[in-house]
Amino acid sequence: MSLLDLKDATKDYKLGKTVIVRALRGLDVHIEKGEIVAIMGPSGSGKSTLMHILGCVDTPTAGEASIEGTQIKSLSERQLVALRGRKIGFVFQTFNLMQTLSAQQNVELPMIFQGIKKKERAQRALDLLTKVGLERRAHHRPNELSGGERQRVAIARALANDPDILLADEPTGNLDSESGGTILELLKRMSTEYGKTVIIVTHDPDAAAIATRTIRLHDGRVVEEVRNA
Amino acid sequence: MLKDFFMLAARSITHRKMRSWLTVIGVFIGITAVVALISIGLGLDQTIKQQVAGVFGVDTFVLVPKGSFGPQRHTGTSAEEYALDLQYLKSIPGVKVAAAVRQRTGFVQGPTKADGTSTQGFLPVMGLSTELMNEFESFTGKLAVQPGGRLFVAGDVDVAVLGTDTAKRLGAKVGDSILVAGDDKKELTLTVVGIMKPSDEGTSSKTNRGFSAGMSPGQNKDTIYVPYDTMSLLWGKANDVLVTLVRTQPGADVNKVADLVEKDLRARGSEISAITYSDVSDAIGTMTSTVSAFLAGIAGIALLVGGVGVMNTMFTSVLERTKEIGVMKAVGAKNSHILTIFLIESGLMGLVGGVVGTLLGLGLSAVASTFIGRFFGVHMAVVASPSLILITLAGSFSLGAFAGLWPAWRASRLPVVDALRYE
Repeated sequence: MSLLDLKDATKDYKLGKTVIVRALRGLDVHIEKGEIVAIMGPSGSGKSTLMHILGCVDTPTAGEASIEGTQIKSLSERQLVALRGRKIGFVFQTFNLMQTLSAQQNVELPMIFQGIKKKERAQRALDLLTKVGLERRAHHRPNELSGGERQRVAIARALANDPDILLADEPTGNLDSESGGTILELLKRMSTEYGKTVIIVTHDPDAAAIATRTIRLHDGRVVEEVRNA
Repeated sequence: MLKDFFMLAARSITHRKMRSWLTVIGVFIGITAVVALISIGLGLDQTIKQQVAGVFGVDTFVLVPKGSFGPQRHTGTSAEEYALDLQYLKSIPGVKVAAAVRQRTGFVQGPTKADGTSTQGFLPVMGLSTELMNEFESFTGKLAVQPGGRLFVAGDVDVAVLGTDTAKRLGAKVGDSILVAGDDKKELTLTVVGIMKPSDEGTSSKTNRGFSAGMSPGQNKDTIYVPYDTMSLLWGKANDVLVTLVRTQPGADVNKVADLVEKDLRARGSEISAITYSDVSDAIGTMTSTVSAFLAGIAGIALLVGGVGVMNTMFTSVLERTKEIGVMKAVGAKNSHILTIFLIESGLMGLVGGVVGTLLGLGLSAVASTFIGRFFGVHMAVVASPSLILITLAGSFSLGAFAGLWPAWRASRLPVVDALRYE
């Protein structure tokens, strides 16, 4: 049993009433604890769909998806919410920070939804911001931060509830190569130092370079799987 | 957690300052109208009741023609005058003082002038009980005659007090004799003992207390006043009474005495209704609350428009924050969390509108009271009861929350994946 298992997973989207788009066409993916997996492929190859299913925000149309042996389909909406809140942290290409909140408050947000007390929350948020090297920027709003800094805040937010899995969707897509490098380094440290499982959906060859394994998708199928040294 | 949600909602409101303010303006216009109109309505009610209470006191009631007061007035059968046995009325238990006014039109001949002629004609003749002069000042206002004259005293019979115009027209002065003719060739020569001081229009509101002004002899300048009992020497039994004022014994229940008087007098053929303070107060209450309800209804429409404004803003807000909602859900927000945050947000806008609207509404009603007060020469109360304010604030929060209910529900139902994909 892997941490995440996909068996012969397919995903269909309905566009309008008649057109059906097959985003995934029978995928077998297994991800072990502590791995850094890069998912690569051209646009429309099903990367994002795969990531949404791995992140438990979507379910396959057919086939199986399970996390630590538990079928995602068997979970209620409420259980899924709880699972996402505790086990999975998301990092997005466009950062998706709350513009109205400071860096620290953005990091606290997932903890608010878990009902964690203010004092503990604030301390943990500060610790996490220190981890990503932004302790001095805690009270700045996202629009006062650079792109790289914003993404570091987003990573700190993803780590707020100490999840096992970190899901990053094109984390370097909107960054220059230097900032991108910092972010990738940070993601790598999350795996090596803190034992997180990191899944990166990316076009960026640099991102693939830090991965322990690269899965290449094309037209909703796995076309190549490379284990890096 | 709720505190954090309040923070999140407040941040989102202040982030969109312009739109939030426009929404709040939509709400507070409605709230201002509602608060001002209700406050003015209550103030009017309170003021009128105070005025009436000032006139009636706790122990006085009025006998008016049956059917001339209250809802039955519309039947069209009401009489203008009624028969009354004043002596009997005074003997009814619980009655301390009673005074009546009766009126006729009589042939009057003025004093003979130097050239041997005299002015004559038909004029209204009013019989006033002596008690009316000194016991019911709150109804009649301060009665006063011009210097050198006097009002009636007990025991007066062949005397008259003239209205200012009458005195001028007849060419009569204090000490002159005038002739008044009644029914069946009865006539009396009366000595003029006083001429009414013309009531000063400017101060009439202070002396005559609003609604009782019509009852004041001081204002009927073309009338001849005679003692009440003198009327019966000219026109016989009193079947032409306009109004009777009754004061009860100290400690007597004015409503019970009024009922007894009404029953006893009706049994003796007097077509009267006894009106106490509570009757008048009830009638005023019915009237003012009808007016208030009507005005509040109009204001309610303004409020409804404000509510629709909140709803519109919230829908827009949900739409433009679709991605934000997706992110919040991705980081662990439950549907109920999203719902709560959006409800608080729309509720807060309603509440701010409520606070501003309440303050403006009270200010507006204070201004209106000043104007109304100056216009009618009364001091009008500004009613700002804590319950009105509390209900308004709670109501405006609910209005906002209610208007936000649908958008918030839609927001909470957004599937995470769709929300995340939304651009």
